[in-house]
Amino acid sequence: MLIYTINRILHMIPVLFVLTVVVFLFMQMLPGDVIDTLIGDEEAEDPETRALLMKEYGLDQPIYVQYGVWIGKVFQGDFGKSLITRRPVSLELFESIPATVYLAIVGISLSILIAVPLGSIAAVKRNTPTDYAAQVTSLIGISIPEFWFAIMCVLLFSLYLGWLPSSGYMSPFEDFGQSIKYLILPAAAVGFRQAAYTTRLTRSSMLDEMNKEYVDTARSLGFSEKKVIYKYILRNAMIPTITISGLQLANLLGGTVVLETIFAWPGIGQAIYLAIIDRDYPLIQAGILVLGIIVVVVNLLVDLLYRVLNPRVALN
Amino acid sequence: MSQIHLDGGGRKVGEIHVPTFNEHFLRYKVAFIDAVQELYKSKTAFIGGVMLVSLVIVLLGTPWLTEYDPTKPNYTAFLNPPNAEHIMGTDRYGRDIFSRVLWGGRRLVAIALAAVVFGMAIGIPYGVLSGYYGGLADSVSMRVVDGLLAFPGILLYLLIVTLAREYHLEGFWNDLILVFALGFAFFPEVARLSRSSVLIEKQKEYVEASNTVGEASLYIAMRQILPNCMSPLIVNATVRLGYVILIIAALSFLGLGTPPPTPDWGSDLSSAREHMETHPLLAVFPGLAICYTVLAFNLFGDGLRDILDPRLSDR
Repeated sequence: MLIYTINRILHMIPVLFVLTVVVFLFMQMLPGDVIDTLIGDEEAEDPETRALLMKEYGLDQPIYVQYGVWIGKVFQGDFGKSLITRRPVSLELFESIPATVYLAIVGISLSILIAVPLGSIAAVKRNTPTDYAAQVTSLIGISIPEFWFAIMCVLLFSLYLGWLPSSGYMSPFEDFGQSIKYLILPAAAVGFRQAAYTTRLTRSSMLDEMNKEYVDTARSLGFSEKKVIYKYILRNAMIPTITISGLQLANLLGGTVVLETIFAWPGIGQAIYLAIIDRDYPLIQAGILVLGIIVVVVNLLVDLLYRVLNPRVALN
Repeated sequence: MSQIHLDGGGRKVGEIHVPTFNEHFLRYKVAFIDAVQELYKSKTAFIGGVMLVSLVIVLLGTPWLTEYDPTKPNYTAFLNPPNAEHIMGTDRYGRDIFSRVLWGGRRLVAIALAAVVFGMAIGIPYGVLSGYYGGLADSVSMRVVDGLLAFPGILLYLLIVTLAREYHLEGFWNDLILVFALGFAFFPEVARLSRSSVLIEKQKEYVEASNTVGEASLYIAMRQILPNCMSPLIVNATVRLGYVILIIAALSFLGLGTPPPTPDWGSDLSSAREHMETHPLLAVFPGLAICYTVLAFNLFGDGLRDILDPRLSDR
């Protein structure tokens, strides 16, 4: 396990390298001079000032040196300053992470709560109308764009029924009741699509487990069908389901850009979106890098967790 | 076609059957006819296929189905509800929504198709060669793929599209960049998938046989192994088409896709939000169009998987 862990961590290094190179090159490929992008006023036109600035930002160095300097700063958490607010980018980003994590975790828990029972029922009642209904529902679920689902929810629950606020955010530590009200629609929008995926996943891993020999053994020992299904099959089927949900969590963090924008949710996705609209390059760069790193780390943790839950895999 | 192998003295030492391109083609033709017959058996694939065919017919027939110009404002018919003249009503500039949905769909499906083909055109050779040759080149190229796959959700597109916006690309060039961005983001997945099929396939006897008779390795990889790895790739591409359509719609919903007045389901949805309180129907039609299209591709892809990969069917 230890060797495996070390191996996996070593595997992360090239992945992170590619990630940083792509994000770094993005900055380099912007049209015009970085000086124009960073300063953007008349001062920059004076050749002497330009040369001075070039030196200050290290732009007179070859590109790999520039990358080295940049990555060194990134390791210290220095992503430069926002072009709009002039505050350090790291500050802007870290303020927005909790809201995103809060939304993602509630959304994914919601999806598991819906999907696991639905998927299990579909698998147990395989090839019956119940199963078909669950399958069709989940297929429709993954075909509906989440932003359209979100708009339709706002239309129904905020504008028509007036039950919930259409957008906004409140920290749960401030006013828990209000916070939940703001949370329901975004979390539902995050969760429904996820639920559709997880339902399909639960169903197929349940079916996988049902064909295994231990199930026959359990049945022949005279255990009740309920016990066989819930105690043995479901438990084993949960291993891949939970793992893939974990991997989805990482994807979800990136996919929240659209939903956070619709619901004015002050998370990292909205921060990146606003940065794109405002052309705040350091913030875009850092935001995407940070999300990418989170994804890589979450994937690693999920992978390790999978080995812990399922020791059989480690032997292979 | 047979290849006869002679030893130094001109004696025949072996004969091996190497399928020619035509034979491959014939095989696929037969497989295609089989597949069409199979489609009737799989309910999902059949429904998806019917939905897709009708979508294609409607999109190809757009110029005859609607006489309204999707971009021309009509100052006498703002925000009309659906009626006999405008079956889906009109938007805030008096443009016929039905016409916008159809013309927008043509663009969207064309871009999605081009993007998926582009992604496969890079990803397949990349994955096949990497898997076939193995070794250091394989490790390095797969780490690149891993790195690209680490970009969560739509972020890689956002990077490329943002960059494209800075170069002020318009019209056709903007669409081209979109195709590039979507295809580029798809290629790591294709590469992974084709590589893993090649790893299994290259253990088989016929590869060994071709190696023994001294076929060029590039030929073995691309012309002999690859055709045997196509079915998961085709299924993947079908499902991906639906996903790509969702992404394009999301990008233009965020205002990062095609600029107005070009008809586009995503940006039409986004502008419909401004009139949501008074004209909720505006937001319904483009959304339904997206759902229909994506569902058609998903159903078809799902059914196709059952047909092409019988091991997975009945799940």
